[in-house]
Parts: sequence; structure tokens; C-alpha cells
Amino acid sequence: MYYISAASTISHQPAFRNAGFSGVIEPLHAGSALINPDYKEYIEPGLLRRMSKILRMSVACSGDCLKQGGIEQPDAIVVGTGLGCLLDTEKFLNNALTVKGLLPPTSFIQSTHNTMAGQISLSLGNHGYNMTHTQNSISFENALLDAMLLIDEGEKHILVGAADEHIALLDEISAQLNIQSDCGLTSGASFFILSAEKSDQTLAGIKDAEALGLVKNIPEQITAFLDRNNVNPDDLDLILYAGSVAGTEDGEKDFQSLLKMKNLPVLDYMKYSGIYPTASAFALHMAADQMQHTRSIKNILICNSLIQHNLGLILVQSVEA
Amino acid sequence: MSVRITGIGIVSAIGLGVQENLLALKESRTGIMPFSFPDEDKMFMAGAVKATNPVLKKELQTKSQYISRTTLLGLKAAREAYGSAKHHDQIRTGIISATSVGGMDLSEQFYQAYLNGTDADFAMLKAHDSGSTTEHIAAELRISGYMNTLSTACSSGANAIMLGARLLMQGKLDRVLVGGADALTNFTVNGFRSLMIYDEQWCRPFDASREGLNLGEGAAFLLLENEKSIRFSGNKTLAFLNGWANAADAYHQTASSPEGKGATLAMQKAIEKSGISLSQISYINAHGTGTKNNDLSESVALINVFGDQVPAFSSTKSFTGHTLAAAGAIEAIFSVLAIQNQLIYPNIHFRTPIMETGLEPVTIMQTEKPVHAVLSNSFGFGGNNSSLVFSDHA
Repeated sequence: MYYISAASTISHQPAFRNAGFSGVIEPLHAGSALINPDYKEYIEPGLLRRMSKILRMSVACSGDCLKQGGIEQPDAIVVGTGLGCLLDTEKFLNNALTVKGLLPPTSFIQSTHNTMAGQISLSLGNHGYNMTHTQNSISFENALLDAMLLIDEGEKHILVGAADEHIALLDEISAQLNIQSDCGLTSGASFFILSAEKSDQTLAGIKDAEALGLVKNIPEQITAFLDRNNVNPDDLDLILYAGSVAGTEDGEKDFQSLLKMKNLPVLDYMKYSGIYPTASAFALHMAADQMQHTRSIKNILICNSLIQHNLGLILVQSVEA
Repeated sequence: MSVRITGIGIVSAIGLGVQENLLALKESRTGIMPFSFPDEDKMFMAGAVKATNPVLKKELQTKSQYISRTTLLGLKAAREAYGSAKHHDQIRTGIISATSVGGMDLSEQFYQAYLNGTDADFAMLKAHDSGSTTEHIAAELRISGYMNTLSTACSSGANAIMLGARLLMQGKLDRVLVGGADALTNFTVNGFRSLMIYDEQWCRPFDASREGLNLGEGAAFLLLENEKSIRFSGNKTLAFLNGWANAADAYHQTASSPEGKGATLAMQKAIEKSGISLSQISYINAHGTGTKNNDLSESVALINVFGDQVPAFSSTKSFTGHTLAAAGAIEAIFSVLAIQNQLIYPNIHFRTPIMETGLEPVTIMQTEKPVHAVLSNSFGFGGNNSSLVFSDHA
């Protein structure tokens, strides 16, 4: 078991520094906006001015996590991002094609995917392992697996998280490419402290995780994952899912028939997070928060098949106080 | 602690495939030359791969319309490294690739058309995200399951190799194809120009007169296998990866610290993990981009680690240009070739040592000394520093 000692999310839900938020969340509606914290509390003004949305969110969530966990320096910083720093990428692309002469370098510097992990290490003066994973919809799961591997190798506390940012062009692209988006494309960031040992701060445990690309038989993979972890379908209290496991529109029915459990609670987490490639990190925070505040919840499966040929699985378990 | 390397594949400015690269290295022949993008007049020094997209597509027999140059280069190298490896139910196979630009070559074309208000082809953007590069390569090689892309700027390729080794050591996979790919793009050329670290002349790593880097492009992949996988594949071991480490410099988003903190830590930890003593390192394939900042900081770090006994070192970016996320993987293969062929490569265009450190890289190909162990450095934006140690023994 790997232990979540802190969690911090910036999203459309009132999650930031608000334990118990999962009890008051509502599905996104037209016009709902990202709830930004007071970034000045976490980032010095000079830096803040130059930072894009994804950087602000990541640095603020990281700072909040460390504060919650009472940890000065994590042993490693691991970040997942599906599309990286889109605002700065588009800005520099635009400049490069339209501006003659010498270009300002800031947006180029901040366009690389590892800007978040780099900025977090800078803000902490952290010299540990520093990594950025980007495998579209399973970027967060890949980052989480790296963090778990680090703990297996003997590290104690890993700062692991994910972030993605929305730009207007994405809406145009998804319309042009006929990508359906009922709940809207948006931004979000969630960071965690993953620890080797249980403590007073522990919110929940992660029993296991998996990230599979070009996966053929999703239902088979899900049942094999549960088997491997000795979890029966009737041990599950909730499934948080994205995308479709069986290619149908009814995710709830799909899971209920796959696991032969008629009354299994099944929830599409993207209705609450909005759509972005690393929204499964939001689902993990939501799961951990629910477990902390509803003691009867023991097992939550997060099943991410936002892109149908990719599969992310996270088994979250409650931890006895 | 060591991991077997059983396959290598490479595409760079000095050749398509391992043999062409080895020949150019032996002949001390650089691949950096005047280059211009199609439809542009402006020439600049770059290490372009001497094969156009249509040529690569034909050779790879891929019909996909929306395939980025990064993917084409990656696929070419990945096929060579993977060889005739076949799917086997008992062998858990994964792929980890590294890229910094992903499908940016296509995104640029799209964005130009989009800005012009002409017929912008939105489908081009399906190749934009870095993960799609890896997915495409995996699909062509019929690899499914563990699939990951790392993007830590110029250290990405080394990190992909490191993560693959860790997954094997922890028993998560039996074999894993690891490497990186990046194509030349306007985006990166303009980017390094905006930072005023693009040398319009030939780059001169570790030389007092150095003015910056020349970009290159390419890809390289290595096949790492455990004992179980080798029993099935029968593959020969080419060399071993013995040590690896990743450390953050935490000094500045792009510049390296003057005391080379992150670089020193990465080298020290990688060597310590390898169990190989400092004096047994035969050769260092340096990061050596040719920028004022990197080469000084790396030189200081070399002295921090090795004192006055700095082993023979050079930057092969004077052959290939800086291939960004592919660099760590390309240089890993050069390290393997150095061990296999007893070669210590020259640092082309070096004349005068950096005053502050006085370090002199190797300037003439050395073939006399045995090469048992090689340290390879890869440092990137965000203060991301990684070092790998290769050797001829477990």
C-alpha cells in the first residue's frame, strides 16, 4: 500500500484547501468557471506575473500539499501532463510565425512540458529526482506509477501530480474533429504527497495502479486488475470512471453488467472535473476525500478510458485510523 | 546492479542506422552543415537527417497521412533496435519514448495555414501530442501495455533509458524498448535563437570561443532485456547499463548553476550506483551543447566529481548537433559503440580550453585504449540533470 498524505486540487469544484469538498460538488454547467485560489499566497508576485495558468495551478497545489503534509522537501517531484504548457506553446508559435526579428524567449522557455516540475523544484530548492510524463489520457497514471516505483526503491515522500490547461483553440479543434464534449474542455491540477508509511495525515491508500496503451480488451483488464489485488466486485463501494469501457453511452450499465453488480454506484467524474487529459488526478482526490469523510467507503476503483485504446486504473482503499 | 542492452537503433545527421553512424564517427565526419527548411531561403547550421519525409515513409512502408517527422525518425530507429523481437504472452514488453517537440512539425504547418485563414487541416493536430509519437511507434511494432512518454527537455532520452532500467530492476517488465526522437522544427530553432544561444557558425563545445548550439534531429532506441526475456529471444548482450541518476539543479528555469550542483549530483549518484570506481571510467560522453553556460557549468561539475583526474571526454554534439530529447538516447548508443569498438570520439572544432577550468576534451579519435566504462551526461531546461553509466560487464 502507498499512502496519500496530502492532496490539493484546483478545478471548477471548491476543492482547494477544502476537505470534504466531495460532499458538496455539483456537475459542471454552462458558464461554470475554474475556482482560482489567491496565488499570491503561494507564489511571489514577480514570478506570478510571468506564469501561465498551468504553472500557477501546479506550483500552488504543490505548495499546499507540502504545507498539509508538513513536509519541507519531498524526495522526488513527478508530474503528468497530457498536453503540456499550451498557452505558452501557442504564444511562441504565434510569435515565431508573425513577428520579425528577435523574439521574447519567455514563452519558449515556458513551453516545455517539464516547466511545471522544474518550477516546483525551483520554488522549493529541491535537488531530488524530477520527472515529467506525457502519455495523453494516461499521463497521470504513468506519473503515479513512477512515484510508486520510487517508494518501492526506498524513497519516503513523493510529490506527484498532474495538470493540463485549456486554450480557446482546443474548442475549435474538438468541434472540427467532431470530438464530443458534453461537459466541456477545461483546465485542472491535482497534486498529492505519496508516502511509504501511514501517518496521522493519511487520507487514503493506493493499493495499485496501472496504465495501459493500445489496450485491446478493457473489461478483461479491469477484472484481471481486481483479481490481482484480491478485490471482489462486491467489495467495491464506488467506481469513478471516464470514457467508455464497452463502447456504449451508458457507463453505469456497462460497469454493472461487467461486474455483475446491479446496484454498484458508478459515477462519471468528468461531469465534475470537466474534460482534460489528466482529470483522473481529480478523481483520485475526490476518492480520497470521500473516504476520509465517509468511513463506510473502503474501496474505490478509478477507471479511466477517456481515450478508448488507453486504460488507467487506480484502486483506492481506506486506511484504518 | 545492471541491465542488459541487447538491441540498438539510431538515425542522426551522421547516418541512418548503426553502421552508418559508426562509420562517420570513425572517420570523424560531422553531420552539421548549412540547412534550410523547405520553402525558406535562410540557411543556418544544423544537424539534419539526410532523408526527406517521403523517403522515410516509403522505406518504413507506412501509409499514415498524418505522421510527424519525429515519429518517422523514431520508428526508423525503433525498428532497428527492436529487430525481429516477437510478441510473447509470457514476456511483459513495454515502450518508453522521449520527445520534446512531438508532432510540432505538423502543428507549425497547421498553424501557419490557420493564421493565414487558408484551408487549415485540423487533422494534422492529431499528431501534436507527444504521447501520440510513442503510440504510433508502438502500434507499428505491435507493442501494447506499458507505454509511456517522457518530456524533460534535453535530458528526456536519458530519462527514458533510466525509467526502463528501473522497471526491469523492480520486476515490472521483462523487456522494454527505450529511447527518444525529435525532429528539427522552426519552433525550436526560433526558440534557441530567442535565447541567443544558437550559433550561426559550427558549434564548438568546450571551446573558449563557443557561442551556442547547433540544433540537430534524430532518434535512437535501445532494447533492454532481463534474463527471462533473453532466454526466449536468444539476443546477445551488447553492453550493460550499470548506473543511472536524475537530480534537479533548482537554480534557474533554463540556465545551469555556476557550481554545477545538479550535474555533480547526477554524475556522482550514477557512478555510485554503478559500483564502478571513478578511475575505471574510460570515457565521458559529455552533454556539451556548445553554450557558454552549459559547458562551463558541466566543466566545473566534472572537476567537482573527478578532481584533477578528469577522464577523456568529448561532446559528440559536434557531430550530430543537439538533438534535444533524442540526445540522451543517441549518446547512449555512441557510448555502447565506444565500448564495443574501443573508440574515444573527438570533440570536433575544439581549439582553446575554457579559461576558468582549463579542461581539454579529446580532439583526435583514440583507438588504442580499451574502453570498459562510459559515463554519459544529459542536462536539460528546468534544471533536469541525468547521468548514465555503461560498461562491458554486469
